[in-house]
Amino acid sequence: MKNIINQIFEIESKLNTQEKGNLQRNFERLYYELEQKGYKIVNPIGQTYDERDLSIEANLLTENGRQKITKVLKPVVYHNVDGVYTLIQKAVVIVE
Amino acid sequence: MENIDFGIDLGTTNSGIGRFQNGKVTVFKNPVGFKETLPSVVAYRNDRILIGDKAREFTKVNPEHVFSSFKRKMGSEFIYKIPNSNEEKSAIDFSTLILKELVNFVGEEKPKGAVITIPASFDTIQSNATKTAGHQAGFQEVVLLQEPIAACLAYANTQNIETAETKKWLVYDFGGGTFDVALVKINDRELKVIDHQGNNFLGGIDIDQLMVEHLLCPSLEPLLNEEKLWKKMVGVNQTSYKKLLIELVYKAEEAKKELSINTSTFIEIEVNGNFIELEITREQFNELIAPKVAETIKLTKLLLEKNNVSNAEIDRIILVGGTTYIPYIRTTLSKSFECYVDSTIDPTTAIIVGAAYFAGTKTLKPDNHELKKEIPVAAKEPQRAVKLVYEVNTQDSEELLTGLVEGDFSGYYRITRSDGGFDTGLMPFHSRFNEFLKVLPKATNYFNVKILDKFQNIVHEKDALAINHGIYNISGQPLPNDICIEVDDTLGTTYLEKVFKKNEILPLSKKIYKTISKTILKGTSDKLILNVVEGNAATSPASNLCIGYLEIDAKNLESNLLKGTDIEINFEISESRDLAIGIYIDSIGLEQREVFNASSRNISIEKMRSELNGVLNDIDEEIEGYAYSQSGDMVENLNEIRIGIIELLRELIEAEDDAVTDKIFNIDERKRKVFQQFDQLVREKNVLLEIEEYQACKQEIREELLHKPNLKIERTFDNLIKNENIFINSNQLSIIRSKIKELKKLSRELYYQNDDAYIELFYDYKHLDVMFYENAAQAESLFEKGEQAAEKRNISELKSVISALYNLLKIKPKDYFEDQNGTLGLR
Repeated sequence: MKNIINQIFEIESKLNTQEKGNLQRNFERLYYELEQKGYKIVNPIGQTYDERDLSIEANLLTENGRQKITKVLKPVVYHNVDGVYTLIQKAVVIVE
Repeated sequence: MENIDFGIDLGTTNSGIGRFQNGKVTVFKNPVGFKETLPSVVAYRNDRILIGDKAREFTKVNPEHVFSSFKRKMGSEFIYKIPNSNEEKSAIDFSTLILKELVNFVGEEKPKGAVITIPASFDTIQSNATKTAGHQAGFQEVVLLQEPIAACLAYANTQNIETAETKKWLVYDFGGGTFDVALVKINDRELKVIDHQGNNFLGGIDIDQLMVEHLLCPSLEPLLNEEKLWKKMVGVNQTSYKKLLIELVYKAEEAKKELSINTSTFIEIEVNGNFIELEITREQFNELIAPKVAETIKLTKLLLEKNNVSNAEIDRIILVGGTTYIPYIRTTLSKSFECYVDSTIDPTTAIIVGAAYFAGTKTLKPDNHELKKEIPVAAKEPQRAVKLVYEVNTQDSEELLTGLVEGDFSGYYRITRSDGGFDTGLMPFHSRFNEFLKVLPKATNYFNVKILDKFQNIVHEKDALAINHGIYNISGQPLPNDICIEVDDTLGTTYLEKVFKKNEILPLSKKIYKTISKTILKGTSDKLILNVVEGNAATSPASNLCIGYLEIDAKNLESNLLKGTDIEINFEISESRDLAIGIYIDSIGLEQREVFNASSRNISIEKMRSELNGVLNDIDEEIEGYAYSQSGDMVENLNEIRIGIIELLRELIEAEDDAVTDKIFNIDERKRKVFQQFDQLVREKNVLLEIEEYQACKQEIREELLHKPNLKIERTFDNLIKNENIFINSNQLSIIRSKIKELKKLSRELYYQNDDAYIELFYDYKHLDVMFYENAAQAESLFEKGEQAAEKRNISELKSVISALYNLLKIKPKDYFEDQNGTLGLR
C-alpha cells in the first residue's frame, strides 16, 4: 500500500496549479478512501523543522534558526489498526 | 539457570538488539520510528541529547555537535568536547548512550546481560572498553563476540548446517560505510576467526554517489547549462546545488534498491519545473560499480593468499550488510571464488541474530561485584513523587505538558509518542520542565514519559498518557446526539449511518462519498432524497428528528442518474447548529448546497406518509406474531400504537393543504414519539432474533466447510465475519440483516458445489406445470433430456438443460438474494 500512496503523492506533486485544480476532488477522494482503510497521509510541506518530529527524515541544507520544509519527496504515512496509529513511513524532506 | 538471551550489534554506523527465546531470535524494532537498526550517532542540540536518526540529520550542517563513528576510537584516550556545555566525553560514553537506547527497544523485561559484538580487528584494550560501555549501560554481565563469528552463528543456526568436519567460511561484510572480510574456521567444537581484511571507507554510500556522478550528472549538465556539475555539487563553496545533490543521492539510493529486484528502473528529476526521466539498466549499474566490487574481491583474495587458503577450500561465503543485496556482488563472488554464496538470511540483521543465538547459550552469572566496582554508579535515587500536568483534550497542534518532581532533583526527561512520530530526546532539567508535545490531528495520542537521573537511569515512567486531538474540547459545545444520514440497504429498507458522533465538538465538517442506489431517469417523478436526522443511530430512521432534507427532483435533471454513480456529500454544522449540506455528482456535473437553520424544521408530507404506512405494516406483522404466541399485553400495546398511527395518517390528509398553522410539526413530533415507542417495544427482541439467525447461518457454513473445504468461499466467509463484534453490537437491524443475506448467499454457493444440487434443481423445474413454460413441447423434450442426464449424472448436460428451462419460463423466479433498489436513492 505504501508504494501506491507514494505514487499518488508523486502524481499530485507533479501537477501544476491549474491541473491540480481540475483534479483536486479526485485526489481528495483517493485520500479519503485510503483513510477509510486506516491510512493517514500527512504532507509536511511548509512546516517549521522540528528536531523532535520523528515522522520526518530531514535533509538539512543550512542551520539558520527557523528552517522550513521546502520539498517533500515522500509523505508521512500512519496506519490505524483498532484505533491505534503506527508510523509506517517517515516523510523524506528537504529543509532550508 | 537464566541465560543472557540478548544480543547486540554495536556497529560503527548502525546498531541493533535481538533476543533468543523459545529457540528463535526476535530482532527488536525502535519504538520511535519502528526501524530494526539505530544509527550509532549522538547529537547535542542546545541542551537536548538526540540519539539515532534525528542526530544523524545534523551531520552535515552542524558537524561539531554530532558524534558518529566513535567505535573507531574505542580504547583510545581520545576525548570529545561537547560545544556549549564544555563537557568531555569518551567513545565509551557515547557507546553507553547507544546501548541504553537499544535497551529502550525491548519491552518491559529489560536485559540483565548482553552479548555485544566487536570487530575482528579489536585488540584487548578496545574489547575491554566495549565491556565497560556495556556495564555503564547497566548490564550485569557482558560477553563479547567477534562480528564474523556472530554472522556465522546466524547462518549456521537458522539453517541447521552440519559442521562435523572442519570447514572454512568467508564472511563478506559490505555495509553502508565500511567493508570487512573475515576467514573463519568452523567445526562442531569451535568457531574461530583465522584472519581478516577491510576498508573503513568503502560502503553503499560510495555506490550512491557514483550513480549521481556518472549516471545522473552527465544527463543533467546540458539541461542546466553547466559543466562539471558533480564537482560543483560537492565543491566547498558551491551552495546552489546542495538541494539538488540531496535529492539525487536519495533517488540514486532508491534506484539502487529497485535494481536489486528489477533489471531496469527509472529516475525522475525535476529541472526548472520540467520532469526528466532517466532509465538506468542493471547492466549500466553493474558496469559502474564493478571497480568498487573488484576492490573488495582484491582484499578477499589477499586474505586467502596471506593464509595460504585456496578457493577450493572455501565451503561457502556468507553475506552481511545491506550492500550485499546487489545481485552483481553475489554473482561476482560466486564466479571469483567458485563456491556457494549463502544469502538465505537478512544481511542487515545477521550479526544481531548471531549474537542473540550465542546469548541464548550463555548462562547469566550472579552479580559480578568485582567489575561493578570499576564503574561509576550513582547512589540509588530515592523514590520521588512526580506530577504531570496537561490538558486531556486539545484543538491545537501542540499541547503543553508540565512535569514537577518532588524535592531538589536534577536529571533528564524524555517523551515519546506511541505511534513512533515524536521523541523529545534526552532533556536535562531541575525539578520542573515544560514541553510542548506535538499531536497527531483527529486522533487519541498516547505518550510515554520517562524521568531519568543524571546517569540516565530511569527513575520514573508513565506510559499511555493520552491527549485527544479534535475529539472533545471543553471550550466548544458538544453534540447532544448523533447526526446521521438515512441510507438504503440492499434489502429494500433504510438505516442510519453516523456522520458525526454524540459529544463531538462544534463546529464540525465532514465529507463522505456514497453511491446512487437506483437509476433515476430525467423527467420522471422519481427523486433522490437526502435525509439528515439527529438522534440515535441504532434506532429506526423515522423515529429521529429530521434536521436537513434535500430532494433532487428527476424533473430538473439534465441527464439520467445511473445506479452506481458516485456522489460526494459535504456536511458542515456551525456552532449555532446550522447544518449545511453540499452535494456534488461529477458524472452529471450537478453541484448543490443548502443551509438548514436549526430553528426551522424540514418536513416532507410524502415521506412521512410512507414512513407511517411502513410502520403500520410492521405492526400488523408483529401483532400477528404475538397473537400466535398468545402474548396478550404486547398485542394490546401494539394495537394502541397502531391506532395512534392510523390517527396520524388521517390528520396528515387534513394537514396537506395547511400552509399556515404548525400542525404538520405537531404530527411530526407525535410520529417520532410513536415510532420510538414501537422501537422500544420490539427492536431489542428483533435484534436478538436476527443475531440468533446470523449465528445459525454462520455455524451452518462452518460445518459445511469442514466437510467440503473450499478456499475461495472460506476467504469470503472470513472477510464477512471479520468485524463481527462491531456489527453485532451496532443494534442496527438492517446491518445484521444484510450480513445474514450475505451468509445465505454464501451458503447457496456452497450448496451448488454439490452435483446433487443440480439434480434437485432440475426436478424443481420438472415438477412445475408445463403451462408455466412458453413452449410446452420444448419443455417436455428438455425434461426427457434432463432425466437421462440425471440418470447418467452428466452434470454439465444437466446444467445446460436447467439453463434452457429457465429461459423458457414465462415468469422468471425471483432471486431473493439480489440487491434491492433503494427507496431514497442513496447507498
